[in-house]
Amino acid sequence: MAATREPRSLPYLLLLPATAVLALVLGYPLARLGVISFQDYGLRSLFTGRVGWAGPDNYLAVWRDPQLVPVLLRTAGFCAALVLGTLAIGLVVAMMMMRLGPRLRRAVTLCLIASWAMPPAAGTLVWQWLFQPVYGVANWALSRIGLFGDLTQHDWTTSPTSAFALVWLLVVWQSVPFVALTLYAGLSQIPRSYYEAAALDGAGGWTAFRVITLPFLRPILALVTILSVIWDFNVFTQIWILTQGGPNQGTTTLGIWSFTKAFSSNSFGQGAAVAVVSILLLLVLTLYYLRRLLRSGEEL
Amino acid sequence: MSNRVVLSDRPPRSDRPTPSPSPGGRRAPSSHRPASPRRILLNAAAVLFCLVWIFPVYWMVNTAFKPYGDILRPTPHFLPVPFSLANFTDAVSKPGFLTDLGNSLLLTLAVVLLAVGVAFFAAVGLTRFRFAGRRAYLVAVLVLQMVPLPALVIPVFLSLKSAHLLNSLLGLALTYVAVVLPFTIWTLRGFLHGIPVELEEAAMVDGANRMTVVRLVLLPLMAPGIIATSVFAFITAWNDYLFADVLMKDQGHQTLPVWLVSFSTSTGTDYGGLIAAATISALPVVVFFMLIQRRLVAGMTAGAVKD
Repeated sequence: MAATREPRSLPYLLLLPATAVLALVLGYPLARLGVISFQDYGLRSLFTGRVGWAGPDNYLAVWRDPQLVPVLLRTAGFCAALVLGTLAIGLVVAMMMMRLGPRLRRAVTLCLIASWAMPPAAGTLVWQWLFQPVYGVANWALSRIGLFGDLTQHDWTTSPTSAFALVWLLVVWQSVPFVALTLYAGLSQIPRSYYEAAALDGAGGWTAFRVITLPFLRPILALVTILSVIWDFNVFTQIWILTQGGPNQGTTTLGIWSFTKAFSSNSFGQGAAVAVVSILLLLVLTLYYLRRLLRSGEEL
Repeated sequence: MSNRVVLSDRPPRSDRPTPSPSPGGRRAPSSHRPASPRRILLNAAAVLFCLVWIFPVYWMVNTAFKPYGDILRPTPHFLPVPFSLANFTDAVSKPGFLTDLGNSLLLTLAVVLLAVGVAFFAAVGLTRFRFAGRRAYLVAVLVLQMVPLPALVIPVFLSLKSAHLLNSLLGLALTYVAVVLPFTIWTLRGFLHGIPVELEEAAMVDGANRMTVVRLVLLPLMAPGIIATSVFAFITAWNDYLFADVLMKDQGHQTLPVWLVSFSTSTGTDYGGLIAAATISALPVVVFFMLIQRRLVAGMTAGAVKD
């Protein structure tokens, strides 16, 4: 091993730049977030630099805020709707890809990759344009289909429900590719002989799916689910650009709430308190995955 | 060593060729039968899915190349005929566009070089040496990767403010480097892990010095990992809106995504210029993804699946 010939400080020297950046730009802010959440950091502190301690006041203010429960429910519901939608569509697309010929499969892959690669800001603006009242092609097409009546004049951001629907479509469009391609990768690893054996034993399509596909796919499904939960819980750019949390705070999720508390109301302390709460919630949601990560530390 | 951590960033070990089953091996048995109603239905579903999924991208490009008068029509035109580049000249001549495009390019280049360089050193340290705290370091890297970034905006803003690094490309670049470092370190570490130390030792015995070993042995073997991490750093710096919006408030110090959004709120209805600008911001990434598409999917097959 090369280690015996090297000075003992060499590995630490190699890690120094990375550690410095990680500690300064991720570690320090993370710690400072906790500190700020116990301070009365407001507009005045921003200019004078003087900050007083607030004790638990920020958390109490958030706790008493009538917005808290609606925001939590909205965040959870929206996250669940996104995760379910992404996983369901992703799984169906992956299974479809397994059964397609090479040319169509390639076409599906290319379409998935195109939507995956769209920068969120550009994609969101395109979405705005697609669903624009009067000139939006999506409104036009939906009206032509006729299921929902005449939608040409419809402004999607005027009601929370339809605004959420708009954001849901956008985020699902952007997140299905990763899920579908990962699940497809997983499906393509299942030995075909398993299905042949099952068919010989008289198993139908549904039984084969339940007995072979699902158990094989379980670890990858768990991974994509956890990653989707993390990503969808943190959806920010799309909501912010499309609705800014409106109308009437009807699409304000935890991330938006923390952001507006800090940067619109200049109450950085309360914004930080909300951010801490959201980190803790996410921690609880992903505990299973974190435990696995930590256990894997033993064999690194 | 078993891959307990089923992250897609676990690259294929160089001693284990990428499993690429023959095209026939991937198909379900039904594909060998002649066209059945089921098969036709399946293909129709696939075509429908493709149309729906590609539509927003197609519509973006279609809108961008239309003459302005054809954009605002209650009945949409589905082909950019007559063809026009007016929207692009319109977007490019808007105040701030070229500056912010330049900012984005410079920033992205700096982030890619810094992140991959710094992570390379860290990865060498983590794979070629045994030292106290190595495991703890790796776990810390994995945990940092899971910190929700929107929650960090407030303290990063306040910290860069007290360091007088707001409205500075340096502050934003450092932020992005930190954001991509955990993934980058982890991925490069995986690649280095697959390269036998004996290769380097053999080169040293033959008289190569340390830099020559890095240049002639390590870098070529790690090319796929360096490409993958560069792509990731590129996309993070090029695509981010949230941090750029908060940290770069001054005009002339913004990046392309922020310019796009402020353009959309300030002019409201100039969708021709806006969508052309969006196309300019999206096209490099979309084309690039299409080009590396095969490698991307193969990497997922090899990396994401093994447990």
